[in-house]
Amino acid sequence: MPTEFRTLAELCEKLEGTSKRLLMRDLVADFLKKVQADEVEPATSMILGRAFPKWDQRTLEVSWATLRGVIKRLANVDWKEFREAFSHTGDVGAATKIILEKGGKIRKQVTLFEKALTILEVRRRLAVIAETTGSGSRERKERLLETLLGVATSLEAKYLVKILIGEMRTGFFEGMMELAVSEAFQIPLDVVQRASMLAGDVSEVAAIAKVQGKEGVLSIRFQLFRPIRPMMAQMAADVDEALRGHGGESAFEDKLDGARIQIHKSGDKVKVYSRRLTDVTESLPEVVQLVRDQIGAREAILEGEVIAVGKDGSPMLFQHLMRRFRRVHNIEEMTKQIPIQLYLFDLLYLDEASLITDPYVERRRKLKAISGDISLTKQVITNDRAEAERFLREAMSRGHEGLMAKKLDSRYTPGVRGKRWFKIKRTLEPLDLVVVAAEWGYGRRHGWLSDYYLAARDSESGELLMVGKTFKGLTDTEIIGMTKRLKESAVKEEHGRVVVVPKIVVEVAYNEIQKSPKYKCGMALRFARITRIRDDKSPAEADTIQKVKEIYEQQFEKKARYP
Amino acid sequence: MFNVKMTDAKLLRDMITAISILIDEATFDITPQGIKLRAMDPSRVAMVDFEWPQTIFDEYNCSEPMKMCLNISEMLKLLRRVGKDESIELSLDEKTARLKMTIRGKYVRTFNMPTLEAMEEEVPTPKVTFKAKARATTDGLREAIEDASLVSDHVRIEADNEKMMMQATGSLMGATIELKKGSDALLNLEVKEPSKATYSLSYLSEIVKAASAASAVTTLEFSSDMPIKLNFEQEKEGKLTYYLAPRIEVE
Repeated sequence: MPTEFRTLAELCEKLEGTSKRLLMRDLVADFLKKVQADEVEPATSMILGRAFPKWDQRTLEVSWATLRGVIKRLANVDWKEFREAFSHTGDVGAATKIILEKGGKIRKQVTLFEKALTILEVRRRLAVIAETTGSGSRERKERLLETLLGVATSLEAKYLVKILIGEMRTGFFEGMMELAVSEAFQIPLDVVQRASMLAGDVSEVAAIAKVQGKEGVLSIRFQLFRPIRPMMAQMAADVDEALRGHGGESAFEDKLDGARIQIHKSGDKVKVYSRRLTDVTESLPEVVQLVRDQIGAREAILEGEVIAVGKDGSPMLFQHLMRRFRRVHNIEEMTKQIPIQLYLFDLLYLDEASLITDPYVERRRKLKAISGDISLTKQVITNDRAEAERFLREAMSRGHEGLMAKKLDSRYTPGVRGKRWFKIKRTLEPLDLVVVAAEWGYGRRHGWLSDYYLAARDSESGELLMVGKTFKGLTDTEIIGMTKRLKESAVKEEHGRVVVVPKIVVEVAYNEIQKSPKYKCGMALRFARITRIRDDKSPAEADTIQKVKEIYEQQFEKKARYP
Repeated sequence: MFNVKMTDAKLLRDMITAISILIDEATFDITPQGIKLRAMDPSRVAMVDFEWPQTIFDEYNCSEPMKMCLNISEMLKLLRRVGKDESIELSLDEKTARLKMTIRGKYVRTFNMPTLEAMEEEVPTPKVTFKAKARATTDGLREAIEDASLVSDHVRIEADNEKMMMQATGSLMGATIELKKGSDALLNLEVKEPSKATYSLSYLSEIVKAASAASAVTTLEFSSDMPIKLNFEQEKEGKLTYYLAPRIEVE
């Protein structure tokens, strides 16, 4: 019997309603045991808020604006009612449910043959939405969305919207899904985790577990052209912390301010994936060519970083590189305008053998042996703090972001952010900025003003100009305090944004100042985070736009400027 | 073996246009008697039922029943190149599974395109007892629907013994269109029971627009809150019928 989508929605509702991890695991495990074999992968993906498995390159390409219009039409409400429901819950799925229920009469598009909305039917429709491209696709997508939500109950619609947006907010994540799969099919957790890492996705492991059990899961291998989640690094304050964390010795490498990529090669076939596992092969033809020409192996999975370089070969700001990634047209033109350089740093798979359990230095040695003329990231292996610090200074003076520190014997742990890899970054001088507006938070931060607009004063006109926005850095208690203070000084609320009388000054750290058309001053802070609230400073004492501009200019002393 | 010839290539172009508005891929049922297609759009809201007996063609050769699946939007790209007084020949190369399309006019061009794996889904005919039946000129119907589309994305169609009405209500504007029995646009009207139902204009207008090139007279049949059936009468033999599910109001 095909499982109705309603059952999945009810399960998610239960997950949302509890924070007991064991209960959540058991609920999902039970569910996975009950569904049909061909429903396991779609169900697992959907419970995690994904329309398709993680390695799948299909995307829905449904904007919130489109979805919003469809929901509004379906519910037959005006914008005012619509906005009210949204500001009440702060969760698009929950708001959709409220709107559909309170709208009174709603006009539903029915189908020709009434059929229950099953998990497989939802997947089929999601696939059609993803496959709808080309001229008129927006209208056709709207139509598909309208009929999908139209045949759903309000509870089903709540979770359909969440899946369409890609955010479940049930508190049930990938790691817990691995627990549930382990529990449901009685397979040791480490076996499930290892398979999930190799397959790049837990949903496929779940499907194999259901049919073939432990044996099947054990036989899961790396697959070329199915990207693996990258291993991530924790932030370390300085080289000392890294050395201590690694037992006295680390491999230090340039931390490039570029885009991390994963390259899969089999013979002449080469694919390049971004950090988020999307296929970016088309955008980076030079990388493909280099790998074909230089890599001395038939099959390989390589990891590296591409950076945009100026005419003199020094790195350009990150944002110019991103223009390469978003490109779909005129790629050839772009390869000339924004040349890139590839640096490799890791090798995960070589001619039918997985290397991820090999020690890092060993992987790096093998990489060196097959990488031909392609540069590897500059590396220094040392146990000497002074030498590491000298290398850090050098890296920065070459225009890089800082250093990576890798534990020499560390294995590769896909998707894990741990202490085996550290990143040590330069930080620019912090700025004292004025909070001029704030937005209401979502989810756990619902009801709090937790997203802050930051401004610096223009010393010429006296005007406060926005340079960034952040929701990072403050503790819950501080956010609650901020909310109270901001509400008191609120001037008006528009589009979910509360504009306040500028009173509060905060100290803000950030990684870069980039050019941005978004703000009037033409600059924006990248990765801004509040480091403390400066109650000792008044807005008049806050930093000026002129100072921001000065720091912005300083960045180019080491970096090439985009022409 | 499958190969056919038509002296008027425009006929094929118009028919493929009419089919393309609901589906991207079409699995045709080909038999020695003719070609059939019945398919639902991906949302399962509308359905097209198409049939061309072999007599429509000037030459028709089919040795055994088969299914042929084509990417309709790709095919339409090629057929858009068809001009006046041009003939067309289609032939399927079973070895390569490609369809060859030869268009003859002032000069001869031959296109070829791949066939796809056929879909097996059988689509039944919706079972509806229709209470109202109207016969209208396709142009008249198209105009009326275009009027309604100006103000809203859905239209309520009502019929009693004297007239057929279309009511469109948008957020700002509204429209009422009246077609009287025996008027130039409404050729005939038979109503067993006054009926009204609401349909999506995005579907309705696309269907009628696309089918109007292939038909001069349309019969529409519907009942309250039930699907509407639109039969676009063909000059020669053949059938082009659509079903469209209604929008209904629920509490």
